[in-house]
Amino acid sequence: MISDLLKTILDVASHFNITTVIIGGLALPAYNVARTTLDIDICIKIESEKQLNYFIKDLKEKEIKTKQQPKINHDLFIVFGKGSEAEIWLKPCDAFQWDAQMVEKIQLFFGDVYVLAVEDYILTKLARIDRSSIDIDDILKLIIANKDSLDWEYFHFRLKWAGLESDFKEIIKGFELDFNYNIRNISKDILDKFK
Amino acid sequence: MKQEKRERAPIHITIADIERAYKKVEEFQRLLERGKTKEQIFKDMLRLIEVDK
Repeated sequence: MISDLLKTILDVASHFNITTVIIGGLALPAYNVARTTLDIDICIKIESEKQLNYFIKDLKEKEIKTKQQPKINHDLFIVFGKGSEAEIWLKPCDAFQWDAQMVEKIQLFFGDVYVLAVEDYILTKLARIDRSSIDIDDILKLIIANKDSLDWEYFHFRLKWAGLESDFKEIIKGFELDFNYNIRNISKDILDKFK
Repeated sequence: MKQEKRERAPIHITIADIERAYKKVEEFQRLLERGKTKEQIFKDMLRLIEVDK
């Protein structure tokens, strides 16, 4: 069973037909990676201010409240349940908005828990304005764990779309270093697939 | 696409970063081999967050 807070948020979002995915560190197991995290990050695709207000009102009736006054053009708001809290994002990343292709590629993790396609998820980490070394470490693990399933063509398209090609090339340099030093075949494989 | 003006921290990857990443991916694979599911790992992470809060 998943936490009451998460379950309630997912139920309310589903009631209003709001597309919802888990993002941040908590989504990592869906992509064969894990690490400790202290945050519950949920991303919803809101269609109108009215829908957002209904969503917030319904959460409030279920004892999940926000101290903010979220608007559709905001990045995120925080909700508090009994003893726990979650960040609800209105876009997948502070650097970009939802688009139709991103929604189309959403994947079922289990039950009613959904996640972004791994390519889009990597982008949320690479593009974020306050990108940290933890995000870079996550990206390295995601590339290694998903090298065979990654849609590299789509990923290239997204990197270009987000203007992050040169940033990702810096990450690829790490695998070049590893191959030159350790002659690790997986790194060579990643380099070949990136081409 | 809307782009923010602030600059992100530069990326500098070392061999140690790559080696650590491989190790972590192997550890996750071992968990799966021992019978843990990705769903269980997700729920374990969620439980830890709630204990912390």
